[in-house]
Amino acid sequence: MNGWILIPIFFPIVAGIFLLLSSFLQHLREVKRHKTSRTAVAAESEELRNIHILTAAVLIISAAAVLWAVWTGEKEATLIYLMKGISLYFKVDAAGRLFVTIASLIWVAICAYSFVYMKHEGEERRFFGFYLVVYGVLTALGLSGNLVTFYLFYELLTLASMPLVLHNGTRESIMASLKYLFYSMCGAYMGLFGIYFLFRYCGTLTFTAGGSLDMALAQDNKGIILIAVFSMIVGFGAKAGMFPLHAWLPTAHPAAPSPASAALSGVIVKAGVLAMLRMVYYVVGPDFIRGTWVQTAWMILSLLTVFMGSMLAYREPVFKKRLAYSTVSQISYILFGLSLLTPQALTGALLHTVFHAIVKTGLFLTAGILITQCNKTRVEDYVGIGKRMPWTLGCYTLLSLALIGIPPASGFISKWYLAQGALDAEVGIFRWLGPAVLLISALLTAGYLLPVVMKGFFPGKEFDADTDKLSLEPSMWMLAPLAVCAVLAVILGIFPSPLIQYAEHIASAVL
Amino acid sequence: MEFVQNLPFISIILSLFSGPLSSVLDGKKAKWVNIAVISIISVMSAAVLAYVVGTGRSFVYRMGHFPAPWGNEIRVGILEALMAVFFCVIMLLCMVGGVREREQQIEETKQNLYYVMVNLLLSSLLALIYTNDLFTAYVFVEINTISACGLIMIRQNGRTIEAATRYMIMSLLGSGLLLLGICFLYDLTGQLLMSNIQEAVRALDASGQYHIPLLVSVVLMSVGLAIKSALYPFHAWLPDAYGYSTLSSAAILSSLVSKGYIFLLIKIFYRVIGFGIVRESKVIHILFVFGIIGMIMGSLSAIKEKNIRRMIAYSSVAQIGYIYMGFGLGTLLGVIASIYHILSHAATKSLLFVAASGLTDSAGDSTDFLDLTGAGYRNKLAGVAFTVGSLSMVGFPIFSGFISKLLFAQAAVGHEIKMLPTLIALAISTVLNALYFMRTVIRIYTPERRLGNEKQRAVPLREQPAKSTALICFIVLNIFLGLSSEPVIQMIRTGLGMFM
Amino acid sequence: MNLTNLINNYAEAVAMILFGIGFSNLLLQKNLIKKIIGLNIMDTAMYLFLALKGFVSGRKAPIVVDGVQEVEAYINPIPSGLVLTGIVVSVSVSALMLSLTIRLYRRYHTLDLDEITTRMKKEGL
Repeated sequence: MNGWILIPIFFPIVAGIFLLLSSFLQHLREVKRHKTSRTAVAAESEELRNIHILTAAVLIISAAAVLWAVWTGEKEATLIYLMKGISLYFKVDAAGRLFVTIASLIWVAICAYSFVYMKHEGEERRFFGFYLVVYGVLTALGLSGNLVTFYLFYELLTLASMPLVLHNGTRESIMASLKYLFYSMCGAYMGLFGIYFLFRYCGTLTFTAGGSLDMALAQDNKGIILIAVFSMIVGFGAKAGMFPLHAWLPTAHPAAPSPASAALSGVIVKAGVLAMLRMVYYVVGPDFIRGTWVQTAWMILSLLTVFMGSMLAYREPVFKKRLAYSTVSQISYILFGLSLLTPQALTGALLHTVFHAIVKTGLFLTAGILITQCNKTRVEDYVGIGKRMPWTLGCYTLLSLALIGIPPASGFISKWYLAQGALDAEVGIFRWLGPAVLLISALLTAGYLLPVVMKGFFPGKEFDADTDKLSLEPSMWMLAPLAVCAVLAVILGIFPSPLIQYAEHIASAVL
Repeated sequence: MEFVQNLPFISIILSLFSGPLSSVLDGKKAKWVNIAVISIISVMSAAVLAYVVGTGRSFVYRMGHFPAPWGNEIRVGILEALMAVFFCVIMLLCMVGGVREREQQIEETKQNLYYVMVNLLLSSLLALIYTNDLFTAYVFVEINTISACGLIMIRQNGRTIEAATRYMIMSLLGSGLLLLGICFLYDLTGQLLMSNIQEAVRALDASGQYHIPLLVSVVLMSVGLAIKSALYPFHAWLPDAYGYSTLSSAAILSSLVSKGYIFLLIKIFYRVIGFGIVRESKVIHILFVFGIIGMIMGSLSAIKEKNIRRMIAYSSVAQIGYIYMGFGLGTLLGVIASIYHILSHAATKSLLFVAASGLTDSAGDSTDFLDLTGAGYRNKLAGVAFTVGSLSMVGFPIFSGFISKLLFAQAAVGHEIKMLPTLIALAISTVLNALYFMRTVIRIYTPERRLGNEKQRAVPLREQPAKSTALICFIVLNIFLGLSSEPVIQMIRTGLGMFM
Repeated sequence: MNLTNLINNYAEAVAMILFGIGFSNLLLQKNLIKKIIGLNIMDTAMYLFLALKGFVSGRKAPIVVDGVQEVEAYINPIPSGLVLTGIVVSVSVSALMLSLTIRLYRRYHTLDLDEITTRMKKEGL
């Protein structure tokens, strides 16, 4: 039954819309009568539990369904035809399977965390409604079988994830979400420009490993196709936070609730990565852009972003903003890996996608805990925090080590592959410039992540440890997802071989 | 002959006679007569569409039972019926959506005259769609112009009268050229019925005679109709006419009147001259170039505009540029894309006008950008509708605009020389569209910082049931066109097939 | 260039020249009344052209007076019919334009369209 893969896409979307409708109706009712009595409060908490159960049930069922669907062989399904030759078409393949798996795991983890976290943000129905919709859209994105379907869900992803950013409704968060919308849309339209061209020069827009560009046709118009491809790279780079369209990330993250930033940074920015992967390796074909100015420009942009992101993160005092800049820098590691167009670098990029998703989710979950438990947002305020929440900060330490790339934690392996890939690739000056930038950036990563650990555990003599001995550890619901992320980050570093094989399998198929 | 074949004629006559009828009624009754007439005609057109799709053949309805070269005829195929249904539905929604504005902005005693104009406009649009006679088409073009002028100037302020004057002048230039072209063609062929002219033109073309006069006639007709439908350099009247007339007028003018002329031009190209001959002439290159310039210049003017209504009006200039670019390509796919864009633009532009008026309501009838800050919160449905319209305009998937852009791109890649300019213009204009529409969306959702602006007020959903209904219908129509585009495209394709 | 054709069809040439005069007046004149005059010249030129096309020298108007004759004896009546229709259209259009002009004159006390535009902008509408 091939149609089964449509169910995990549309089930969460429908359930999410149902929650949103119920939230809308609730608002209408509340206008009419004011709630006062104590029974109303009790009823409300009862209601909240129902929402939680519903969300968790939907999420777990669809995650199980989608994992079962993608791991039991190749499937494909056509939904409708938009016009002759262009259909909404879904297909399971190796890269999509990887993306969907990560997204599902992280989505379940963040969901558990936000049951507690969202209590102090309010409006749970709306949050979980959009949360489920975004999950459905992400699944669809991972399973999209052609460029038009991909583009459709890519745009929907922007629209559906925007309400997560503006959740608390302050002027700041609304402006941030509009900025996110504007950047993503502009990027998507630059991508659309390229799609217009690929219509002509590609045999088919269906994703084919190695690309489907019609070389004989393309040779005559190489210049213009390269421009189109470049505009797609820059455009899809908007969502992946690549320079020059990266500016929305540091604005959107601090404004969003922490689970939303974790989802945004952990998974949604990866949609940009997936877009480039699909476009370069599955539609245009890596051979076409190898050795052209597009490859050079792409490498320059990604290296620039790596360096710039780390520098800005290093100088940033607000914790969540610092993490956002760190995302900017780390995602461009992946993009650099993609731009090298060698199997080894591609393997590294895919590995780093997985590791970064896990690690950055964990880091933002930590940020959420720190913000709710001590009501402070700036890094210098987290002095002595390790005494009061050792578990949280312990997890944070592990995650930091993984992101910096200290063996045996996971980041080391992906960075190793990236550096190796760069050294082996025939890209002139970038052979040594790339690894050098990666190294400097890794040092900077240490520089911006570790001070929190050091100040937290070793506050120094002037810190009065007796002022407040009360433990600030959060509830198990919040701590457990964080711990899972931290442990995964380490375990995947110690036993990486299945994952490496899988990534190499993808890389060898397209290169 | 089956009864259904009478319906096109009956619908033209019905709306034509409801005009004089409205002139003796008072405003309220005229309104109900008008809405009833449009609804009945939509149902009848839908029946005709179902009939034509069912038989799969077009039919000819003879008026007065004179045989072909002498009598006047109506010809109905799938494309004509589709257009008629669509125009009626859009017009109905525009009329429903603008009820309150009309009652406020038009003098009490002149209310019924507005409905006279609308009924005449509808009948002339239907006649333009259905007629098989070139001179009848000309007469109804003039009726269309006059009633459209009435729609503009019925809201009385200096701007509308001036805009109506400019509109009349441009339209008269256009219809002068059109008439001259028709006279030339009549002179060459001695026929007025479209199908007969086409036979004669084929014979002329085969014999190689009168090549230049034929060309001149094609040029005259297409330039005339291009002027009337506000193709780029002839658009000066448009922003004022759409920007200051009453809401239903602006919506109807932008989405239907100009499209009626374009549809006539398509008929002339396909049914009168024959597309092969048109393609060989240089006319379509001219249309193509001006279409592309219009796409970009219209968007640039829209970016500069500070008044939301005028901004939407300028965006019309750009969209009409798209349509002309489509048949400037000179391929079947290009014409299909253009016709689809006629539908999609009609659905979107009227949605935008109605939504914009909902937004300006909440800003105390100010159309200035600054006053619209946060309007999306004060009138929620209008905010959502405007966002939907904007997204459709810039080509967001699941809305109709995306499909028409894909169709244009698909059509463009089939053409060797024109491919590059088309794709580049498409890309540039998409980005420009995104710039000004997304800027507006951001503006209406930016929370208001200045307090105590007593002009601003919240407009709840219940206050305007009519407008809300219209907006919801428009949104549904847009999503329908965006998601189930394949059957519509198929209908356009077979309809065009019937033209030849 | 074969000039004899032009000389033989001098009437059509005159019609076209008149059309040009009318067209450019309608397009270029600033004064509204002159524009309307241009419109009427343009339309009249067209009727002249149509009437010329409908006229074949030596034939009669298609009215049966002394018994039905052969078809060749009559001219084609359709162009004359078209001219009549056209005149009706042009009369109504001219009336509409004149009424618009009156409105504008009452409001702005000038017939110059550009002047009207500047005054309107000053009015700040």
